[in-house]
Amino acid sequence: MAPVRGTRRTPTTSTAYWIAITVAALLVIAIHVLGIAAIVRFRARRGRTPRRFSAAQGALTRPAVPLVIVAAGMFIVGVVMAGAARDVKPTGPEGLAGSRSLVAQVGGLAATADTKPLTINVIGQQWLWRFEYPGGRQGDRVFSYGELVVPVDTAVVLRITSTDVMHRWFIPTLGGQVDAVPGKTAETWFRADREGVYRGQSTSFAYSAFSVMRAWVRVVSPAAYEDYVQRKRTELRAAQGYVLRRVAKSAIQGGGP
Amino acid sequence: MTPPTATTNVSPPRPEVVTDGIPRRRAEWIERATSANHKSVGILYLGTALCFGVLAVIELVLLRVQLIVPENTAIHPDIFDRVLSVFGVTSVILFAIPFGLGLIGYIVPLQIGSRGVAFPRLNLLSFWLYLAGATTVYASLLWTPPDTGLAALPPLSEKAFSDVGGVDAWIVGSALAILGFVFFAINLVVTLHTMRAPGMAWRRVPLLSWAAGVGGYLLLAIGPVMLAALTMLFIDRNYDGVFFDAGEGGAPLLYEHFAWFFFTGAYTLVVIVAAGVISDVLPTFTRKPLFSHRGAMISLLAIGVLGPLAWMQNMYTAPIPIGFEIFAMLVALTLTVPVGLLIFIWIATLWEGTLHLRAAPLYALGAIGAMSIGLAGELAYSVIPVGWQLDNTAAAHGDTFAVLAGGAVLGGFAALHYWFPKLTGRMMGEGSAKAALVAILAGIYAYALASFLAGLKGQPADVYKFFEGNGLDGFNLVASIAAFVVAVGVLLELGNVAYSWGRGVRAGHDPWGGSTLEWFALSPPPEHNFDVVPDVRSAEPLEDIRRAIRERTESWRSPEPTRRAEPVAQPFEPEPAQAGGADQDPSSDAPVA
Repeated sequence: MAPVRGTRRTPTTSTAYWIAITVAALLVIAIHVLGIAAIVRFRARRGRTPRRFSAAQGALTRPAVPLVIVAAGMFIVGVVMAGAARDVKPTGPEGLAGSRSLVAQVGGLAATADTKPLTINVIGQQWLWRFEYPGGRQGDRVFSYGELVVPVDTAVVLRITSTDVMHRWFIPTLGGQVDAVPGKTAETWFRADREGVYRGQSTSFAYSAFSVMRAWVRVVSPAAYEDYVQRKRTELRAAQGYVLRRVAKSAIQGGGP
Repeated sequence: MTPPTATTNVSPPRPEVVTDGIPRRRAEWIERATSANHKSVGILYLGTALCFGVLAVIELVLLRVQLIVPENTAIHPDIFDRVLSVFGVTSVILFAIPFGLGLIGYIVPLQIGSRGVAFPRLNLLSFWLYLAGATTVYASLLWTPPDTGLAALPPLSEKAFSDVGGVDAWIVGSALAILGFVFFAINLVVTLHTMRAPGMAWRRVPLLSWAAGVGGYLLLAIGPVMLAALTMLFIDRNYDGVFFDAGEGGAPLLYEHFAWFFFTGAYTLVVIVAAGVISDVLPTFTRKPLFSHRGAMISLLAIGVLGPLAWMQNMYTAPIPIGFEIFAMLVALTLTVPVGLLIFIWIATLWEGTLHLRAAPLYALGAIGAMSIGLAGELAYSVIPVGWQLDNTAAAHGDTFAVLAGGAVLGGFAALHYWFPKLTGRMMGEGSAKAALVAILAGIYAYALASFLAGLKGQPADVYKFFEGNGLDGFNLVASIAAFVVAVGVLLELGNVAYSWGRGVRAGHDPWGGSTLEWFALSPPPEHNFDVVPDVRSAEPLEDIRRAIRERTESWRSPEPTRRAEPVAQPFEPEPAQAGGADQDPSSDAPVA
């Protein structure tokens, strides 16, 4: 029932999640057991008199100590796990690794211009997700809507923004949520360990259609990913060429496109 | 008013005005609408808030009807958005907060032994502002209702994306109501500071009044912030402002900070008021003092200060520096200590007492249970990676529901059961109340659990539909049924209120054997509350008076054996024989009679 699995980022989230839920559940159980025991045992009955006592000086220190320990422990877990989850891990051996500028690998050492993780722009708009793949000049980038295709075992950095209202990127099995805010760019990353389709949807209210503002990440082998990008590029160029020809033709004929 | 120079616990009669004033000549409704007496204003608040509670229940049922099966088409998506937005403002701003304020406005002056409030007309104005705001929001239903969700976050609520007048009505209505609450808080805080009975030091203030004081300052902190945000949003929408327009250099996140500061504070306010109610109800029905009056006071204060400071706990996913998130997590986790201590104090109050299983303490215990699951969930979500995963999903929504329904509905009904005799001179029914409690409590638990499991699977909050084949069908069905059960319970209990209002069993001035000053007044109290304000010597002034009477009765030697007087026909006998002995002194517990 863990919310997240299948990626290299998620074990930390998953660990933090289990620790937090376990602690919370134990507290709830303790409160309910003690409360019900008190109700059953100390309810009014014939012949029982209440013992009218109240706390002596410092009587609340003892219950405070475990609470402080719980809070401090959770804080440490939160800080450590949040840091771990934000660290971009290097691409694995089966991932997309190449010398081409399109894709590169993060080594254990400082990343140079050639060894960046795969960076994809994610742009939210009412009520679609647009994905822009790396490579190509501005205006000539490969893009897709709704479906993001990424190579397996590869560190993928998402740069998330929005063109209209706030949206929220969320694929439950690929790590946490990130707001898409107009005018700001947020970053998150994931690394999918297994091929397959990971589904999610925006969780930020943006009118009713946000309920259907879904996104799915298709994780494929690196070769298939490169094929996909190549095919997309060819298709997009063909489409753009067609549009250009139509526009030119219309302009020559003096009509609208 | 000169301080009394009494040597006993009961002040000797002083020259006091004991008339109810000249006979009323105006119609009842004009009196009701214009009377600045704090009790009349309190009743207005409570009645209005309960009406909006009913509307909130109806709206929740509508929302859950749509979500009962996957890909349901029962309600049009646009209608769903409007119901959702109106439900948000109704449940928090028009029900939960004013219900607590009405209770506070009625009871607190009585509890602190005051004959009135500092600014009675401001108090009355605050109610009419609240009602004007509520009317503005609901009047928009006749044209185009608001449809921008609970907090109307820009850019969604900017003119470019939401052109309907309902959003403006939402802004103006919320602002009027919040302005009213701020005025109410000013009056409340000044009253608490200046009008306490002689001898009532801060450490002796009853816990509902203390919670009210903390809540009053809290409202003074959060209310103006939201008013500023709403004003800016209104300027953005209607006068070409760019406060929150990212394209023109504005900052949408700024509004989010303001709104979450307010809503986190409002949530804290509900918790604090409910905690005050619970802390007053439990000692009365266990026949022993609260385990630690001082500890409860400090805990409430800590919750009031820290609660709103954790506002960024709702913004873990926003593009803000990680340091902000860690600060929010630190504050939220620190809250574990005062909340935990408060619950510990409540359970320790039950310990070795005699808990009378009447409706009021049962509702209070139910409120503790429901709030504990919600607050424990809150504890878990405040750990940053967990928050990233579950924020704004059905799981977080279910948790908020458990806290707000537990605090405002269960805590509110506990308060109604406890103070209803004081408000009306009549008792509320017990049988149907317990049935309603079972329904509401079971509903809240089932709703929170089902929503939690749905949230783990990634279902967002506020969606108008969910898709088949994601394993969400069962959870949503259970959550819908649970919401219907809650609705039935709430309506049953409101029927109980309406019935008892006119036909309940007559109550005396102190049906429960309470230990705070409101039980010293008649039920319902006269215009001026008290003919004589007793001197306060401890946190339990009525307990002192009872003891003084007992001691005098004992020292008086009767020529023939005394007979124990028949108690007045009261539904609940406070067992005076067993409450003997000094506080904190078990050795003197010998029966007196």
